[in-house]
Amino acid sequence: MAEITLRQVAKTYFSAVPVRALDSVDLDIAEGEFVALLGPSGCGKSTLLNILAGFEGASEGSALIDGGAIGKPGPDRGVVFQEAALFPWLTVWENVVFGPKMQGVPRSDYEDRAREMLATVGLKDFAQSYPAQLSGGMRQRVGIARVLVMQPRALLMDEPFGALDAQTRMAMQELLLTVWEKLNTTVVFVTHDIDEAILLADRVCVMTARPARIGREIPIALPRPRSIDDLTTPEFTRYKAEIMAEMRSAHRQAETTAA
Amino acid sequence: MTDTSVKQAGSRPAGMAAPGSRALGSTLPRILVNSGLAQIVLALILPVAIVAIWQLAGTNGSLFGGVLPTPDRVVSAWWIWAFGPKGMGLNPYSGTWLANVIFSTQRVAQGFLVAILVGVPAGIWIGWSRLGAQILDPTVQMLRPIPITAWLPFSLAVFGISGFSAIFLIALGAFYPIVINTTQGARHVERNLVRAALMMGAGRFDILRRVVLPAALPSIFTGLRIGLGIGWTAVIVSEMIAVKSGLGYVLWDAYYVGRMDVVIADMVSIGVMGLLSDQLILLAERWALSWRLAGAR
Ligand SMILES: Nc1ncnc2c1ncn2[C@@H]1O[C@H](COP(=O)(O)OP(=O)(O)OP(=O)(O)O)[C@@H](O)[C@H]1O
Ligand SMILES: [Mg+2]
Repeated sequence: MAEITLRQVAKTYFSAVPVRALDSVDLDIAEGEFVALLGPSGCGKSTLLNILAGFEGASEGSALIDGGAIGKPGPDRGVVFQEAALFPWLTVWENVVFGPKMQGVPRSDYEDRAREMLATVGLKDFAQSYPAQLSGGMRQRVGIARVLVMQPRALLMDEPFGALDAQTRMAMQELLLTVWEKLNTTVVFVTHDIDEAILLADRVCVMTARPARIGREIPIALPRPRSIDDLTTPEFTRYKAEIMAEMRSAHRQAETTAA
Repeated sequence: MTDTSVKQAGSRPAGMAAPGSRALGSTLPRILVNSGLAQIVLALILPVAIVAIWQLAGTNGSLFGGVLPTPDRVVSAWWIWAFGPKGMGLNPYSGTWLANVIFSTQRVAQGFLVAILVGVPAGIWIGWSRLGAQILDPTVQMLRPIPITAWLPFSLAVFGISGFSAIFLIALGAFYPIVINTTQGARHVERNLVRAALMMGAGRFDILRRVVLPAALPSIFTGLRIGLGIGWTAVIVSEMIAVKSGLGYVLWDAYYVGRMDVVIADMVSIGVMGLLSDQLILLAERWALSWRLAGAR
C-alpha cells in the first residue's frame, strides 16, 4: 500500500576508502506490488533497502514514497534484516510486541494479532524463550513476525529466508504470499535465490555489480495464487533461464570492471 | 575405548588387575577436582597453611618480638570487639564491631548509589551522543588522574569531619570505572538493533532506555564491580582521617594504641565485607543478564 519511486539514486560511502555502492538507480514500484531484487554479493542490495527504510540517505537523486521524500525510519516500512537483529535481552514475545508497544497501541489491540502471528510462524511454544535459545532460522521467523504485527504499508526484506532450511523456507514463502495477498502490502524482497524471486515476485529486478544499477526488470506473469508446484512448469524454467543469462552477464561485467 | 578394555579384562586370568582399574585410578582425582566440595577443600589449603604456620611461628602469642599477634589472639580480640560488653573504659572497642561494620557499609552503599546514579547516565550519554562525549569526556579524563586520596584534604575542607566526606570520596572513586565502562558499552551497540528499534517506532528516549542501556549492561556490571572495590578502599582511607567511626577509624585508632590484634581483625572484616558485597553484585548481574546465560543452559 505504498508507492515507491527512485530517480537516479546514487550512494557513496565516505569510509577510509570511498565506496560507490549505488550508481543511478531508477525504480518504480506500484502500490501493493511485490518486487524482488537479485544481484551479486556486495553489489548494494542492502544499501538500497537501507535508503528505502530511511536508515541512510541517498547521496544523489531522489527517493520518494507516495510522492514524498523518504523520511526517518518508521513503522510504515517494516524491515526484516539479513541477520534477524532481535533484542537478545527480550523474550520472543517481547520482541514481537515491541513495535506496537513503542507506538503506544493499546495492549488489547495487538495481543491477539501477535499471538496469531507467532503461531503462524510456528513459534507459539517459544514465546517465553530468549533469542539465544533459538536457532538461526527461528530467530529469522521472529524477525518476520515482529514486522508483520505492525501491519506496515511496505515490507523491506533483506534475504529473509537465506538462513532457513528448504522446508521451512517453503513454508515461509507460502506464508509471505498469503500475508501479502491479504494485506496488499508493497514488498521489496532481496534474495540470492532465483527460484524464490520468480515464485514470489510480480517483477524481478536484476542488479549489476557494484556500483549497482538496475540492469534489467523482468515481469513475472505466472498466475496467482502460486505454489511450490509452479517451480517445475515450463514457463518457470523459461524465466529462470532468462534471469540466469542476465546474471551471468552482470557477473562478466563485474570481472571486466575489476580487471 | 571402554569396549576394548572390557574385552581385555575378560581375557585376563582371574586375580590380575584389569586395565579398567588403572583407568579408574587416573579418573578418580579428576572427579575429585571437579566436585564442589573438592573445590572448597582445594581453595582452603593455602590459607589454612598460612594461618597454621603463622600460629606455630609465634611464641607467647606473638611474632617479631611482640609486633604481630598470632591468629588465636586475633580471634579472641575480634570476639571481644564483636560480643564484649559495651562501654567498658579499659577496652573502647568492646562490643562495637557490628556498629562499625554498619557505619562503613552504609557509607559505601550511599556513595556507591550516588556513583551509579551519576555514572551510568553520564556514561550512556558520553557513549551514545557525540555532543555528550564532547561536553563530558574531556572533564572526566582530566579529573581521573587525580587519585581519590589526593581529594582527602579537599573533602575535609568542604565537608568537615563527617560521613559526607567519606561518601563524597567513595562516590568519586566508584564513579570513574562506572562511567568509563558504561561509555564503552554504550559506544558499541549493534547498529542494526538501533535501526530495528527506530523502524518499530521507538523514540530517542526509548532507544536509550530499551536498546542502549540493556546492550551496555554487561560492561556496566564490570564497572560496578571495579567501582565497588574502589568504594571500599575509599571508605577505609577517609574513615582513617576524616571520620570518627567505621572500620577505617577503628583500624587507625587501634594501630595508634598498639592493638595489632584489633588491626588484623579489622582487616579481615574489611576483606569479608568486600567479598560479600562483590558477591551481591554478581548475584544482581546473574539476574539482570539472565538472557545471556539462557543460551548456555
Ligand atoms: N556503512 C558502510 N560503510 C562503508 N561501506 C559500506 C557500508 N555499507 C556497505 N558498504 C559497502 O557498500 C557495498 C554494498 O554493500 P551492501 O551491503 O549493500 O551489499 P549487498 O548487495 O547487500 O551484499 P550481500 O548480498 O552480500 O548482502 C559493499 O562494497 C560494502 O562494502
Ligand atoms: Mg546485504
